[in-house]
Amino acid sequence: MNVQPDLDFIKYLKGAGGDTLKKCYQCATCSVVCPLSTDDKPFPRKEMIWAQWGLKEKLVADPDVFLCHQCGDCTAYCPRGAKPGDVLGAIRAYSYTHYGWPGGLAKLASSAKGLPMLIALPALVIFVLWVISGGMTIPSPETFSHYGYQQFFGHWDFHWLSKNVFFIDIMMLPAAGLAVFAAYRGVSTMWKAMAANAGMESAFRPSVLQFVKEFLWPSVLEIVQHDRFRECKTNIDRVKGHLPLMLSFMGLFTVTVWSALANDVFGLWIPALHGPMSVWNPIKILANVSAVALIVGVGILWSNRAKAEADAGATGTFYDWFLIWEIMAVGVTGLLAEIARWSGLAAPGYIMYFLHLVSIMMLFLYMPYTKFAHLVYRTFAMAFERYRDSAYGKNPLDQ
Amino acid sequence: MTDEQGTTGAILVVGGGISGLTAALEAAEVGNDVFLVEKNAYMGGRVSQLNQYFPKLCPPSCGLEINFKRIKDNRRIRTYTMTTVKSVSGGPGNYQVTLETAPRYVNSNCTACGDCAAACPDEIDNEFNFGMNKSKAAYLPHEMAFPRRFVINKAGLSADGAAAVKAACKYDAVDLDMQTETRTIEVASIIYATGWTPYDPTKMDNLKFGQSNAIVTNMMIERMAAPGGPTDGAILRPGDNKEPESFAFVQCAGSRDENHLEYCSYICCMATFKQMTYIRERYPEAKIYVFYIDLRTPGKYEKFREKLMGDANSTFIKGKVADIIVEADGGVTVVAENAVTGDKIHQKVDMAILATGMQPTQAIAPVNGGQEMDSNGFVVSNRATGILSAGCACKAADVVTSNQSATAAALKAIQVTRR
Repeated sequence: MNVQPDLDFIKYLKGAGGDTLKKCYQCATCSVVCPLSTDDKPFPRKEMIWAQWGLKEKLVADPDVFLCHQCGDCTAYCPRGAKPGDVLGAIRAYSYTHYGWPGGLAKLASSAKGLPMLIALPALVIFVLWVISGGMTIPSPETFSHYGYQQFFGHWDFHWLSKNVFFIDIMMLPAAGLAVFAAYRGVSTMWKAMAANAGMESAFRPSVLQFVKEFLWPSVLEIVQHDRFRECKTNIDRVKGHLPLMLSFMGLFTVTVWSALANDVFGLWIPALHGPMSVWNPIKILANVSAVALIVGVGILWSNRAKAEADAGATGTFYDWFLIWEIMAVGVTGLLAEIARWSGLAAPGYIMYFLHLVSIMMLFLYMPYTKFAHLVYRTFAMAFERYRDSAYGKNPLDQ
Repeated sequence: MTDEQGTTGAILVVGGGISGLTAALEAAEVGNDVFLVEKNAYMGGRVSQLNQYFPKLCPPSCGLEINFKRIKDNRRIRTYTMTTVKSVSGGPGNYQVTLETAPRYVNSNCTACGDCAAACPDEIDNEFNFGMNKSKAAYLPHEMAFPRRFVINKAGLSADGAAAVKAACKYDAVDLDMQTETRTIEVASIIYATGWTPYDPTKMDNLKFGQSNAIVTNMMIERMAAPGGPTDGAILRPGDNKEPESFAFVQCAGSRDENHLEYCSYICCMATFKQMTYIRERYPEAKIYVFYIDLRTPGKYEKFREKLMGDANSTFIKGKVADIIVEADGGVTVVAENAVTGDKIHQKVDMAILATGMQPTQAIAPVNGGQEMDSNGFVVSNRATGILSAGCACKAADVVTSNQSATAAALKAIQVTRR
């Protein structure tokens, strides 16, 4: 076999939490103790030797890398302290940068060095828009208690679309759009690489509907139910954090979709839909419950990770912490802004609201390049696993 | 015993296994006085528990017996069994060592006639056979025990048993009022030859030792295969006495593992090959599966490996067993990934043999004796202090290497006495 090691790739992995990978001596304990490893395609032993050999192309197109939930059982039982769980995490971090588009932004989001820039970029965009909007005045207590943050970007008498919604739309929609496109591009590149790597020459392709029904939807269901996550032994406590966090994201997604519809569509005819919702509005209740679940969930993950690093020797990386910090920032700024509104503290409220917008924009914009990308990459890897084992994944002439 | 340099000239050897015997004899035959203390009631250590040992696959009687004879004939060696080191004070050339001898409850009148054991109604677990059978509470530790004298386990003896044992002895050798004795000796140098203890297999929770009778250790196989062992040489599954039709050897069970013993125990690969010959003698058709990370067969042992790897009914799989599943029929399934093919293997077998490694006894029960130890509990020889180590107290080794290191330690000890 002609092995072409990619030395830079090995260096990257060592710097991104995989510094232990060279300790592996291929005993394969990890593949046996891993609760997610299958009989015909066990991992992470093979990934460890590919990583040692710098076989980047094999790893970024390996579904098993993404199927790993970093239970940590492999790391706990590893006789050499090679921490396969951490190494696979580093490979995933690399893959998100590898598939990320535009490349410059993906690279910026991959290390702590880029953090000031990562914060400054959305902060500047929002600040400039705030200046342009002319809404940069702290409202009177009466206005604040009546409108809340609905006039953050000012107010105009244009009947169809409120000024605030307009400004939020022009910054958040492009950010979200870029993220969705980048994720789509990354996932489809990954899919093609995985199919090529698995030597699949499919004679038939499923329709979009078939694809969703047979591969994507069952994977989503499995994720929502946390079936694989619950197989973990060493880090089983992470389910207690991840489940409320994921449900809160689903809740907040629903709230956001409803708000967009209410403000941008129905609000065109029913102006009453603009303005802060009553606390007892079902949508507002969902929003508040989700916000609390988000903070609690990410708080549990925060303490679990800190504990894993202190006790189990897990490696702390920017990749892992950035997502935790970012989600915590979204939750805390949102909640503080709401509390400020209830307390009638306009100035601190406006500052919090500004920070809240910044953190949300960061969440959208960097989704495809940071750990948050597991949302799409792992989902599609799970779909690929189903696809590979289905009739589509096999050439009938080979059977 | 002080000579003109102010040193006592005597050497203390702690441990009466193959290394301790060698060190004691080498030093005594050069003319030094030697105290040889042994924690057990018998000399010979781990070697006496083996069925056969390397390099020539001799039974332990060969080798140990000649050493016992040399010790008996050498007036410079004083032996103390059931004796441990309690404290060490002083300095190089002049150590005061306090020894504590546990009561044997049998005095030197004993002729090893066995009448006490025959009369004794009480039974205890036979530790020499890893609890695989029972012995009487008045017992000879094993059939070639040296010194050849019975021992009484007083805690395991009932009131009736005590009376029966006392009454049975024609030589007035039973003394149930015997007390712990302490004595202080002066020595120039100390050699720790405290040997090894099989690593506790219950510590590897994924290997399920203790949850199925089909899971045994390599040392248990030695006792089973030994003619005087619990099964008189038959390799049978404990519990149901089934003749196994398939065996799995689990190499590196606890060795080369940071969570257990971080070093290679050196002997387990060879022990497995040796035990394959035991199995072949008894079951020519049995299937044998050996799961390993690397096979380490240094030097001349390579030939032995080649021979056994040619066995048609044996399969060698590169991949460590990391899970054992207990099956309802009394067997077990061992699980490993074949690192060569990348397939996960679930192999059902009648018996799984854990090739557990050697842990220095000093790591488990360290002597308060001024010895320097490394992080694994091996004793590091220090020529300046004259506190030395030999055999498996010093590193994981086979008998040949142990004897070499025992001779080396004896030489260093002699040098301390002549400084």
